[in-house]
Amino acid sequence: MILELSAFLILLAISLAVPTILFLLLRPSLNDLLRHTLRLQAGVTFYLRSFLLVLYLAALSATIGTSFDLKPDSRFMEYVWKGAEGLSASLERTLWFVAIYLVLITVLVATLKVKDDE
Amino acid sequence: MTNERYLIVSYFVCAALAIALGVVVYLTLRRSFAGVAEAAPGKGLPSMLKRLLPCGLVLPALFGFVSVSYQSCDRTTYTEIVASRGYLVAKNQEQISSILLYILFAVVFWNLVVLLILRFANGGRDGSKVRQLDD
Repeated sequence: MILELSAFLILLAISLAVPTILFLLLRPSLNDLLRHTLRLQAGVTFYLRSFLLVLYLAALSATIGTSFDLKPDSRFMEYVWKGAEGLSASLERTLWFVAIYLVLITVLVATLKVKDDE
Repeated sequence: MTNERYLIVSYFVCAALAIALGVVVYLTLRRSFAGVAEAAPGKGLPSMLKRLLPCGLVLPALFGFVSVSYQSCDRTTYTEIVASRGYLVAKNQEQISSILLYILFAVVFWNLVVLLILRFANGGRDGSKVRQLDD
């Protein structure tokens, strides 16, 4: 029970770290891009917050769905494999939704006039 | 705590969690969305969009919650379902996962709505209304 909980908490910590790092890395450039594209400050705030939500929701929805319901006599590596399986699902979902968000932002930039062009 | 009691408690806790998560996401996006919605063309559209946002986040969360069924191929009767605590915990995890996923879809949907608002506010009025709001 303790091993299961520990494995789940480690998986949860890694799954939360990945979107946090991704957001911190991308935020300055995304902020600049949105500021140059949108005239409305509320729009910039909305898309930045949405990006953060998308990252966390995607990662957590996959991570929490991972069940560590293994046999009582399971070995250490079985928990590691299960954790890796959960992390794989989490990363896959995060990347898919980052891709969807990227397409959305590309459409947004392509559709709206760029401030600098005016 | 018996498995049956755990099932009842966890089911309603998950339902409350679905509503709470929907509300938290709504509160996160409320102000910025309201700012964007004000730029929407049409007289009643901004207020309609602002009123639709909470429904558009809480209802998908609830939908995600109820979309998970306790019955599966190897467990069809109530007795079989409550027999294993591990199965009940796994179902709770599935419910929370589904709630988060449906909220995620809702957020992406509202992103598209904002894109359309900005497109029409920008192109339709040549940015005049948006500029006023920005000032």
